[in-house]
Amino acid sequence: MASHGVPRASGVQPATDQDWRKEQQKIKDYKGLVDSLNGRIREHQFNTETFEMTSKLLKWNPEYYTLWNHRRLILRHRFQYSNSRGPNDDSPPNHEALISLISDDLVFLIPLLRKFPKCYWIWKHRRWLLDEASGLLTASETRKFWQQELALVGKMLNLDSRNFHGWGYRRTVIEALERDALQAEGLSTSMTRQEFDYTTKMINTNLSNFSAWHNRSKLIPKLLDEMKADHQVRKKFLDDELELIERALWAGPEDQSLWFYHQYLVCTFDPKYTADSMVPEITGAESMAYVRKEIMKVREMLDGAEDCKWIYQSLIHLDRLYHELGNDWFEEASHIEGYFDELTKLDSLRLGKWNDLRGRINI
Amino acid sequence: MSLVSGPGRGGASTGHVPDEIKLVVEKHVEYIQTLDTRQDELEYWLTEHLRLNGVYWGLTALHLLGHPEALPRLATIDFVLSSQHESGGFGAAPGHDAHMLYTVSAVQILGTVDALEELDRRGKAGREKVGQYIADLQSQETGSFAGDEWGETDTRFLYGALNALSLLHMLHLVDIPKAVTYIQNCANFDGGYGVSPGAESHAGQIFTCVGALAIAGRLDLVDRDRLGGWLSERQLPNGGLSGRPEKLEDVCYSWWVASSLAMIDRLHWIDRDKLSQFILQCQDSEKGGIADRPGDMVDVFHTVFGLAGLSLIGFPGLVAVDPI
Repeated sequence: MASHGVPRASGVQPATDQDWRKEQQKIKDYKGLVDSLNGRIREHQFNTETFEMTSKLLKWNPEYYTLWNHRRLILRHRFQYSNSRGPNDDSPPNHEALISLISDDLVFLIPLLRKFPKCYWIWKHRRWLLDEASGLLTASETRKFWQQELALVGKMLNLDSRNFHGWGYRRTVIEALERDALQAEGLSTSMTRQEFDYTTKMINTNLSNFSAWHNRSKLIPKLLDEMKADHQVRKKFLDDELELIERALWAGPEDQSLWFYHQYLVCTFDPKYTADSMVPEITGAESMAYVRKEIMKVREMLDGAEDCKWIYQSLIHLDRLYHELGNDWFEEASHIEGYFDELTKLDSLRLGKWNDLRGRINI
Repeated sequence: MSLVSGPGRGGASTGHVPDEIKLVVEKHVEYIQTLDTRQDELEYWLTEHLRLNGVYWGLTALHLLGHPEALPRLATIDFVLSSQHESGGFGAAPGHDAHMLYTVSAVQILGTVDALEELDRRGKAGREKVGQYIADLQSQETGSFAGDEWGETDTRFLYGALNALSLLHMLHLVDIPKAVTYIQNCANFDGGYGVSPGAESHAGQIFTCVGALAIAGRLDLVDRDRLGGWLSERQLPNGGLSGRPEKLEDVCYSWWVASSLAMIDRLHWIDRDKLSQFILQCQDSEKGGIADRPGDMVDVFHTVFGLAGLSLIGFPGLVAVDPI
């Protein structure tokens, strides 16, 4: 958008005459280039010079989506006709020429992605190039491109580990690499385990990475299915995840990413969500035992963190769940009332929420 | 109309903030009216690809401010029609390719100034064709919508399609149940929605998904408490709202978060007074316009979403806005 996070310091000085004249010249250059390029596209002049004009303008303004469309028209034309035997030869192109065209354009995008990592159109164009490659090249040639993309997106996520374009692109890359047509013989088709380990790595670098926790929540059910995990294996997996998140919560009890992941794990015990959880066959009795244990563990976290609203929030959630499961309350009414009292004090922004929930509980 | 940011800045970034800040209605009207006079700024031209969105944002802001007449109606209609293609779709400005994002803005603008019939009278394509352009971007297979013929699907396009088609009374042109299924596939454990299946929850995408479900009459599918809980945690101690956990507040989320909460009857789960104080602090009370955060440069995008947020929470002096 126009001015996210542009500080007050920039652009405040009144422009001098000279600045104004300079700006007018820039406008003239920019508009001249745009008009000239649009004219060439209308006339189907899909040559190198026109292509270079799109490069120049896109480096200037990658948000100008029509220019990307122009560029794709030229590239499609080149894919069709580019040939080492000369521009007037209509015979189909050889794969080396295609590979270098695609590869050059992928290289062109890298500095742009680094400079404008949140620009939808750049990611879109990259995705388009890879899709074109899939249609034009052999499976093994395309696979090489996708493998390079995996390395690139890893670098992008190292620069900004919360970039949702990056995470989305990563899922696209993985999906493509897993697609049957691209599988070289003898290779394992699933990359779920590798991606799961990647989220562990990202979380270990920064516990507050909600993007990584989120991706983990999407990968676990898939991973367990692929492992053909039975009930016991699934429970063990859940235990390990609970242990991981609890260790993290001890380190950062104010971190909402962690509490949301904890909430995700606790969903397993909620009959409303059990069927889609990581232990779909968990029994009511097993769930109650888990919830009891969770209440005790979360209560322990209060020690020294009495002003952490998330703990009270979680305890209320767990207490309500326990009640739903067995119709009994695990903690005394006065405790639960006390949690609401704390939240009213500590979390006044969300008073309406606490009043609603308090009204619904009948202890 | 342009998206040129500045010239002013929203409020004070540091130091004393008065308790009682007024909404400077006249200044905001003036700010929007003068946006199109800034053609000697390079940024005016570098933001041309957003022009039609900009007109929609400016026009909506003026309607919220109670000054719908502040932009010339006829010139607005003429500009919209000049951005149309024979396919029925609209580009951001004359000479820009057709795309869902601008087609939706075009329909919204024409709807706002009560001029949809102008499409049949003097558009390059009539209402029926505009509806068909949008409908043809739906994938028969998944129910999602592409932005244009170059692919890329995104829940923003799905919401835009349903919004525009409902204004055109042409929802029958698309497969609503399939679109609804697609939205459900974008749902996450936290009750929120992402940009595509598998993507993390993001307040902007939540607005598009919940809005689309509202238009489709399927809000029953939303996990209200869970989503309401996640959305209410977007409010930060200064009253502003963020788009995702551990992110900074930004005025535009005053709309995406608050309207989503309103659609699921949970708007009272955040502190509305603190939110309005935050938005007012982002105003430039001298030259008009609203910025993303106090101290930053103003622009028309943050101006409309700040005003829409204020209107939604019932701030006096503004015309009431529909959360969908």
